[in-house]
Amino acid sequence: MMLALLHRVVVALLPFVALPAFGAGAIDGEVARQPLNPTAIVMFLLFVVATLFITWRASKATTTSSTFYNAGGQITGAQNGMAIAGDFMSAASFLGITGLMFIGGFDGLILSLGAFGAWPVLMFLFAKRVRNLGSFTFIDVISQRLDRNPIRLVTAFSTIVIVVMYLIAQMVGAGKLIQLLFGLPYELALVIVSGLVLGYVAFGGMLATTWVQIIKAILLLAGVTLIALLLLAKLDFSFSALLKQATENHPKGEAILSSGVIFNDPIQILTIQISMLFGTVGLPHILMRLFTVPDMRQAKLSAYYASLFIGYFYIALLVLGFGAIALVYNTPAFFDSDGALIGGSNMAAIHVASAVGGDVLTGFMSAVCFATILAVVAGLTLSGAAAISHDVYAEVLKQGNPDPVTELRLTRISVFLIGLAAVLLGIAFQNENVAFIATIPMVVSASVTFPMLLLSLFWSGLTTRGAIWGALVGLVSSIVLILLGPQVWVSVLGNEQAVFPYDYPALFTMPLSFMVMFLVSMADNSERGIVDKENYRALEWRAEFGDSPAGEGATS
Amino acid sequence: MITKDRLLKERTRRRFLFTGLHLLLYFSFSLNWTSWGSFLAERLGATYLSGAIVMFVVLVVLFIVLESVFLWLSQREERS
Repeated sequence: MMLALLHRVVVALLPFVALPAFGAGAIDGEVARQPLNPTAIVMFLLFVVATLFITWRASKATTTSSTFYNAGGQITGAQNGMAIAGDFMSAASFLGITGLMFIGGFDGLILSLGAFGAWPVLMFLFAKRVRNLGSFTFIDVISQRLDRNPIRLVTAFSTIVIVVMYLIAQMVGAGKLIQLLFGLPYELALVIVSGLVLGYVAFGGMLATTWVQIIKAILLLAGVTLIALLLLAKLDFSFSALLKQATENHPKGEAILSSGVIFNDPIQILTIQISMLFGTVGLPHILMRLFTVPDMRQAKLSAYYASLFIGYFYIALLVLGFGAIALVYNTPAFFDSDGALIGGSNMAAIHVASAVGGDVLTGFMSAVCFATILAVVAGLTLSGAAAISHDVYAEVLKQGNPDPVTELRLTRISVFLIGLAAVLLGIAFQNENVAFIATIPMVVSASVTFPMLLLSLFWSGLTTRGAIWGALVGLVSSIVLILLGPQVWVSVLGNEQAVFPYDYPALFTMPLSFMVMFLVSMADNSERGIVDKENYRALEWRAEFGDSPAGEGATS
Repeated sequence: MITKDRLLKERTRRRFLFTGLHLLLYFSFSLNWTSWGSFLAERLGATYLSGAIVMFVVLVVLFIVLESVFLWLSQREERS
C-alpha cells in the first residue's frame, strides 16, 4: 500500500523533479481546490495592508528613474541581503524542496545546495565589480566596453525571455497554489497577484519592492524556524530521533538518508548543479538588486547577508523535509480515502505546519506562501520593465539622453503591460505542463547572461561580435535542447523517448556559449573589436578602484 | 609600496582562487551519486545521521566561512 502511495506521490511531483526549486511555478497539473481558509485570508490581508502602506510611503520618494530602478541607492547591505533572500526564497523552494524530500529524502537536498551555491560566486566574482560599473541593470555593465546598441538589444532580449518565462511559471504556480491554500478560483488568484504587484511596483518602484521582499523574508524565516523548533521539540530536540522516525515511516526506510531514491545518474546531478548555480548568478532581477546599495562594500555585504539568510533557510528545510516524512506519513488525517496526500504532495510542508502548530500556523504559512509569490513576481516585473524602459528606450533609442518624465512614465506603462501579460499568459498556460517553461530561464541565464558578464569583466579579449555570437548560440541551443529533452519531447509532445536525455542542458550549452565567445573574439580583427579590447584596461580599473588609470577611458 | 596594477592582479587572483575553491567544494557534493562516494551513505555510529546529510550541512557552513574569509581579507586590505 505504501509503495502504491509512493508511486502516486512521485507521479504528482514529477514536475518538481524537473523544476528549479528557486523560481519555478510551484504547482503543476490539475489541483483540487480546497475549502476557503479564513485564518490564512485574514493573515494575508494584514500583510497586504502593511505592504500597501509601505508602498504609499515609498511612492512619495519615487519621483525619478533613479529612485524607481534602484531606490536611490540608499538600501544598506543587511537590508539588501534580506531583500535578495526574499526575492530568492520562493514558494517553490519552501513547498517544492520539502515535497521532494517527502518523497525522496536526501535526494531533495540537491536542489537546496544547488540554489545556495550561487551566492558565494556572486560575492567573489561579481558583487563589487558589477556595483562599481553599473547604474540600474547588469546590461549597463556589459555595454560599457562593447558596442552599446547591439549588445544592449541582445542582452535586453535575453532578459525579457528570462523574465517572461519565469513569470509564466510563477503565475501558473501561483494560481494553483492559491487554489490549494486559500480555496480561491484560479483566475481570481492571478488577478489579485497581478493587481497587488502592479500597485507595489508602479507606485513604489524598487523601494516598495525591497520592503515587500524584506517583510516576506522575515515572515518566511520566522515561519520555518518555528516549524523546525516545534518539530524538534516533539522529539526532545534530537535530530537523530527525527531521522529515525522518518526512516521508520518511509517505505524506502534508511535509503532516504543518502542518495539514490529519486536521482541515480551523476551526469543528471551535474546538469542540475550547473544550471542552478550559474543560472542563479545570471538572473537579471537578482543582479539588479546590487545597484540598490550606496557603494561596492555594501554590495559585497549584500551578497554575504543573502548567503547567511538563505543558508539558514535551507538548513531549516532539512529539518522540515525529514520532519514531513516523520509526521505526515503516519497521520491518516492528511490522506484522502484513496490514500493520496490531501491537496497533493506539494502540501507536505503545509501539513507539517498543521501537525505541529494547528490551524493558526497553517494559516500563517499559507499567507507567507502568498506573500512569497508577490515578492518574487514584483522583482521580476521591475526587472522586465527596466529592460524595456531603461535598456531599450533610454539607452538605445535615446542614446542615454532620455526625457526623465517620459522614461518614468514608460516604465510605469511597461509595468502595467507586464502585469496584464502575466495574467493573460497565466490563464493561457493554466492547463499546460509548465515544467519546461520554468527550466528555460535558468538555462538561458547560465548560457547567455553568465558567460557575457564573466568574460566582459575578466577577459580583455572579448569583442562585441564574440559576445553577440556566443549569446545567440547559447540562447538558441538552450531552447532547442530543452525542446528535445524529456520535459517537452516526452511529457508535452507524447513521444516515447527524448532525443536529448537531460532536463537541464546547461552542462553543454554554457561551455558552448563560452567557446563561441572565445573563438569569435579571437578571430575578430575588426576596428570595433580592437576598440573593445583596448577598453578593457579602463573598465577593469573602474570596476576595481572606481576610477580610470591616468589618461585612459573607455570608448563607447 | 604596491602599485595599483599589482593590486589589481592580486585581487583578481584572489577572486578566482576563492571561486575555484568554492566550485571544488560545490561539485564534490555530486560524489554522493557515484560509487566513490558510497561511504557517505553510512550512518555515523549509533546515530541516524548519514555522511551525506553531514556533508550537506558542512558544505553550507564552509561556503559561509569562505565568504567570511574573503570579506575579511577585502576589509583588511581596504583599511591598510
